[in-house]
Amino acid sequence: MKNPIIKIFALFCLGLLIIGCDKSPPIEDHMLDGDIVFDPSINNPEEFLASAKYPNPTSEDLDRHVMIAVHGFTASTFEWSEFNEWSADSTYRLSLVLLGGHGTSYDDFKASTWSDWAESIKLEYETLESMGYKKISLVGSSTGATLLVELVRSGYFDARTSPQNIFLIDPIVVASSKLQSIAGILGPMLVYVGSDNSVEKDEYYYHFKPQETVSELNDLMKTVRKGLEDGLTLPADTYMKVFHSKHDPTANSLSSVMIHAGLKNSAGSDIDVQIMDSDIHVFTRLAIRDSVSALNIENQEDAFRQMANRLN
Amino acid sequence: MESNFSLTLYNFETEKKFMFMKSSVYKWSLFFLILFGAAGIKAQDFKIGIKFQKTHSLYWENGVSAQYSFVKIRPGQLYVGLDILSSRLGSALGTNALKQNTYLGSLSYYFRKNKAFKIITKVNAGFFKVDLGNELFNELPDTALLLSPELGLVYDFKHKPLSLNLGAGLNVNTKTEGESPGTLQPLFYNLTMFYKFNNI
Repeated sequence: MKNPIIKIFALFCLGLLIIGCDKSPPIEDHMLDGDIVFDPSINNPEEFLASAKYPNPTSEDLDRHVMIAVHGFTASTFEWSEFNEWSADSTYRLSLVLLGGHGTSYDDFKASTWSDWAESIKLEYETLESMGYKKISLVGSSTGATLLVELVRSGYFDARTSPQNIFLIDPIVVASSKLQSIAGILGPMLVYVGSDNSVEKDEYYYHFKPQETVSELNDLMKTVRKGLEDGLTLPADTYMKVFHSKHDPTANSLSSVMIHAGLKNSAGSDIDVQIMDSDIHVFTRLAIRDSVSALNIENQEDAFRQMANRLN
Repeated sequence: MESNFSLTLYNFETEKKFMFMKSSVYKWSLFFLILFGAAGIKAQDFKIGIKFQKTHSLYWENGVSAQYSFVKIRPGQLYVGLDILSSRLGSALGTNALKQNTYLGSLSYYFRKNKAFKIITKVNAGFFKVDLGNELFNELPDTALLLSPELGLVYDFKHKPLSLNLGAGLNVNTKTEGESPGTLQPLFYNLTMFYKFNNI
């Protein structure tokens, strides 16, 4: 580099790169990403997990349906709190699991893999099974739903009690965001992706997504897509229904088309799918949204009622 | 944007004509019209080949590609082209991957015209359609208009009428994110193997 102008330009570019690679997002005290706010299920699991709330179930307890509710990427147990409240007088029980790497801090999230995320689902499933529960169902929203399909793909249920029902709410197998698929290429330049979460939402959802976890999500989607392309079969006698918002801005609605094309029940027939007249992602969570329409409430009630009917 | 396009077809064409447009006769007539001379204009170069295209982290879509250079307009440098690609000949072959087709027209400009290695810049425009396979999904977005800039390298074999094109492009999003078919992703790369006819 004999030319000084080239030298200066090279130094300028290097400087920009260093400034651009600041790896610490501006985390504030009110955010779940920091070290002050945590998901409440960490300190009070008995309020969220059926296995912790009823450590010594009676034979009558064991005859009840229990459903494990799984939240999505960056979310926390809050995502299923409305269904928990809606189900207060029901005979079935709910376990609101917190995905691995979630609900604690940005650093924990950044260090986690999609395999880590699924560990808490497996732990609760195996705990309930070992306690003697026979009627275990699962519901997942967004990435939570994708993790449930991955459990089917990996054969996790093959040597276990088959789930009674699996419900998927706005599963993400292909993203609506066109930048999501190239996050791996942008890599270190991306560092993290911010969000436009409200202050209220920051208490329950990570504000910042490290590029490592965005890549993990891409890897999970790719693995599930490949499984669906090759063809998957549900465990014996497991019922599945997929609900998807027609114009989901996060998990593209073709995700459910892919699941319908690639996943059959044990008898070889199609799974049930319902397209909801909705343009919000995870239409079952209406709390802390800017605005909620009558149609949003109707959709939520419809899905809650259909799931409850299968658990009673 | 896409709904406007469909509306135009319905407003200005009779149903009979619309069905004709969709027929394979029309498609192949159009294809050969472009390939063999566009109403009698003599070609400097005409290239036809097979194309393999991968959408980043998603499907392989393969098919045919043709390029045509006019004698009187930047011969051997400015090309118009046509691509027809389908996942039916790629990822969806024998799998449950979604079946989708891409129809593209293109305008390419070749730099380093007389060298074996050339650099090309290209603009594609066209139409995308994914087959959702079940009436359950009738309301979901399954089409999109396409617009994509592309950059590539060409290698022309010295004593053979063959050339290899390597390209990478970016689909410009023509719809809001919840309205666009999810299998239409931005980044793609392709390899085309052409057989070249000169001065036809």
